Amino acid sequence: MELWIDFARGPLFALTFLIMLLGLARLIIIQIYSIVARKGRRLINAPWKKIFREALSWVIPVRHLIPGTKIFSIVSFSCHIGLILVPLFLANHIVLWEDLFDINLPQLSSSVADYLTLFTIVCLFILFGFRVFSIRLRSMSRKSDYVILIVVLLPFITGYMAVHPKMNPFSWNVVMLLHLLSAALLFILIPFTKLAHIVLFFFDRISAIHWQLRPGAGDQVAESLYGKEAKV
Amino acid sequence: MNNRVRVLKDIFWILSFSGLVAALLRMLFGLGATTNLTDGIPWGLWKVFNMIAGVALSTSGFTVGFLVYVLRLDRFKPYLKPAILIAFLGYGCSCLALLFDIGLPYRFWHPIFMWNINSFLFEVFWCVLLYFTVTAIELAPLIFEGLKAQKLVKFFHGIAFVVVIIGISLSSLHHSSLGSLFLVSPQRLYPLWYSPRLPLLFILSAMGGGIMLLVMVRIIWAKFYNPEPVFGPVSRQETTMIHDSRGLVCAVSSRKEPGFEMPDISRLALIGTGILLIYLLLKITDLVALGTWRELLSGQSESWLYGIELTFGLLLPLVLMLNPRTRNKPVPVGVAAGLAAFGMVFNRLNVGIFGYFRDAEVVYFPSLTEWALGLGVIAAAGLVFLGLAEYLPVFDDKPANAYLRKIKIKSTSTSHQVWNVVLADSLHRVSLLAVFVIPISFILMYPPYRGSEAALIKPSLGVDLQRSILEIDGDRRGYTTTFNHADHQRRLGDTGSCARCHHICVPKDKSTPCFRCHQYMHDSTNIFNHEEHKLFVARDEKLNGWHPENYACEKCHSVGTPRTKNSARDCLECHRENMFLVGEPTKEMKLMYASSFCLAMHENCLACHRQEAVKPEYAHLGECSTCHKTLQRKDREKIVTAEVM
Repeated sequence: MELWIDFARGPLFALTFLIMLLGLARLIIIQIYSIVARKGRRLINAPWKKIFREALSWVIPVRHLIPGTKIFSIVSFSCHIGLILVPLFLANHIVLWEDLFDINLPQLSSSVADYLTLFTIVCLFILFGFRVFSIRLRSMSRKSDYVILIVVLLPFITGYMAVHPKMNPFSWNVVMLLHLLSAALLFILIPFTKLAHIVLFFFDRISAIHWQLRPGAGDQVAESLYGKEAKV
Repeated sequence: MNNRVRVLKDIFWILSFSGLVAALLRMLFGLGATTNLTDGIPWGLWKVFNMIAGVALSTSGFTVGFLVYVLRLDRFKPYLKPAILIAFLGYGCSCLALLFDIGLPYRFWHPIFMWNINSFLFEVFWCVLLYFTVTAIELAPLIFEGLKAQKLVKFFHGIAFVVVIIGISLSSLHHSSLGSLFLVSPQRLYPLWYSPRLPLLFILSAMGGGIMLLVMVRIIWAKFYNPEPVFGPVSRQETTMIHDSRGLVCAVSSRKEPGFEMPDISRLALIGTGILLIYLLLKITDLVALGTWRELLSGQSESWLYGIELTFGLLLPLVLMLNPRTRNKPVPVGVAAGLAAFGMVFNRLNVGIFGYFRDAEVVYFPSLTEWALGLGVIAAAGLVFLGLAEYLPVFDDKPANAYLRKIKIKSTSTSHQVWNVVLADSLHRVSLLAVFVIPISFILMYPPYRGSEAALIKPSLGVDLQRSILEIDGDRRGYTTTFNHADHQRRLGDTGSCARCHHICVPKDKSTPCFRCHQYMHDSTNIFNHEEHKLFVARDEKLNGWHPENYACEKCHSVGTPRTKNSARDCLECHRENMFLVGEPTKEMKLMYASSFCLAMHENCLACHRQEAVKPEYAHLGECSTCHKTLQRKDREKIVTAEVM
């Protein structure tokens, strides 16, 4: 069992983490390339100030709440606090970063990390419940949405159990191995599913660039929708 | 785009990416950690395959140049451009591979300023350097033509003749010198391959092999892009439609007559064959003259290797080419050319690597890193070749892009569709390959993950009952060190002196031998068994719960901090009595890792020896030969047999 944990902690972690990093880098490159290739010179005249102000407003998206899914949006947003903070700044993980990349990150105190983890787990369960029980959200959800929620949930649950071995009905080794494997699965899924919004978020939110239409574009759209005679 | 070309490019990209990772790891970790090279076989895949064989394969640049510019055979003019491109890329990837093969790559420029005129390698270095420049100049018109800089094209065309002549003389110099490299070791190289005429053999086979490679590339190129000039036109009447089992319609066409370019290609191949024929005759004469043909019948592994080289690399292509029935058909000519090129490479491997196995008494097989870099460099050159030839008129009057057509999707398989249609954009496709190939090749080649390949250290060879003299040969390499245990014990103060060397013991043991903890020759060993400690602590402390060992963590690790070796209690808090530790433990002494056997022995013995060596009467204690008396294994055998006689 120790050998398996060592394998998951060493080569498997390196493999999946590298796949994630390169995959995300690939998405960034493709995004930038496609924006530059499609828009070309028109990027210079784009209203950058407005675009960035718009994009920044999404970091705390209070203004963008839509009536009807308000609770869902709030839960989903607050869930992200734990999702970002705990994997990066948990004391046990800081040791890992230090070993691997030789960087010193500030540390979350263990009680804060515990509460954040529990809070995130609860949030994720609520999100899952919404997707199952709310008719509106159920009709918007695909199969992958449920699977991804579970995959994100797994490392948090197993991680919490590994930190508190006394509350853990299984052997520590088993839980730790599950924690590592589920994290590896998450790493691989990140660049190839909607979890890619880790980096694509920034590109989605500057979508104002994409909507700079060419002169006469409206006529073309109308033509392709309603036939030649249509005019805007 | 043509599907076959795309698959080929995918393979090339995969190899290049893994080569990139290999290059990075070699730079970070050095040759010892990444290659399987030893003192016995110091020239491995990169040197022999990439450098010596790679340079030899790119001779077509000067041979075709000789045919066109000196002999004025204008019919071979269309082959000049691909030949020069092959030469440029071949020399380029040889130099690149050599850069990673030399110990200190950042000193590659030293031979330019620090001349050692007695060395063959010095001459090879200069010739390769100059000839690489020459091929670059020869290639320049093609590139500038693509860039539409007509003045520069005219200039380079003007100096072409001079440059080609320089190229020919440089080539004839260094291809023979590459053979001379092996003249310095007549005792080491197996007699089948050693000959005083190696330089001549090398240059002849290189010329033949280079032309044959050009022929092979031309035919494969035709197969991929524009089959008509080589494989002949498709006659309309012969095309038939067949319904296969999946219900798809296939057009089966037959080509009866070879294309209009085939006679020229076959003439070029015949010139190569002629050179190879002279090479074969010379080789056989050499065997007879030196009397080494007996080795061929001895049934050793070397005679088999020589046999393979001779039959598949020389005789078979000669038969295919000299037979009038086959020498005008593209497929047999392509096969013959491929075999001849293979035979030439195999000859270089034989001379450079396999021929030394018997003398070095080791068998060398390249590590994954060596394969990745060796093939990756060639694959990258292949990509450059395809890229240049697709956008510039290399083989024909127009770039190959003109022959490429969009793939028509016939398959209904989803994965196939995704790969070919959704990822049709080369950026999407190549970057996706990189995302998977780079991490996988990284963890496969990362030296610390390769695990300790060294065997476990074994107990000393000869131990008598009193433990008076130990003959230590930890890794059983045949180099023993004699350690007079009783003598040391007596001199250091009889009983009670054990502790001066046996610094720590396995719990409840009194004199644990060194190799129990220092388990590898050059690697440290983890001597702390975490798994068992959890179970033992839970048992000793009588812990309860579903899994008692889950409650044991806090017995050693302090609460609230990450559970690492730094947050753990010192081992000696529990083990002070039963491990017989000597002296006060240092702060780093977490007793997790034992250093390598080599390091431990040297530290343990030398600490005392150095101290004593200061005294004039014990000056010899500071010398290596005081302990390492053993001669080489081979010489030992000789001494033993001499004593017996």
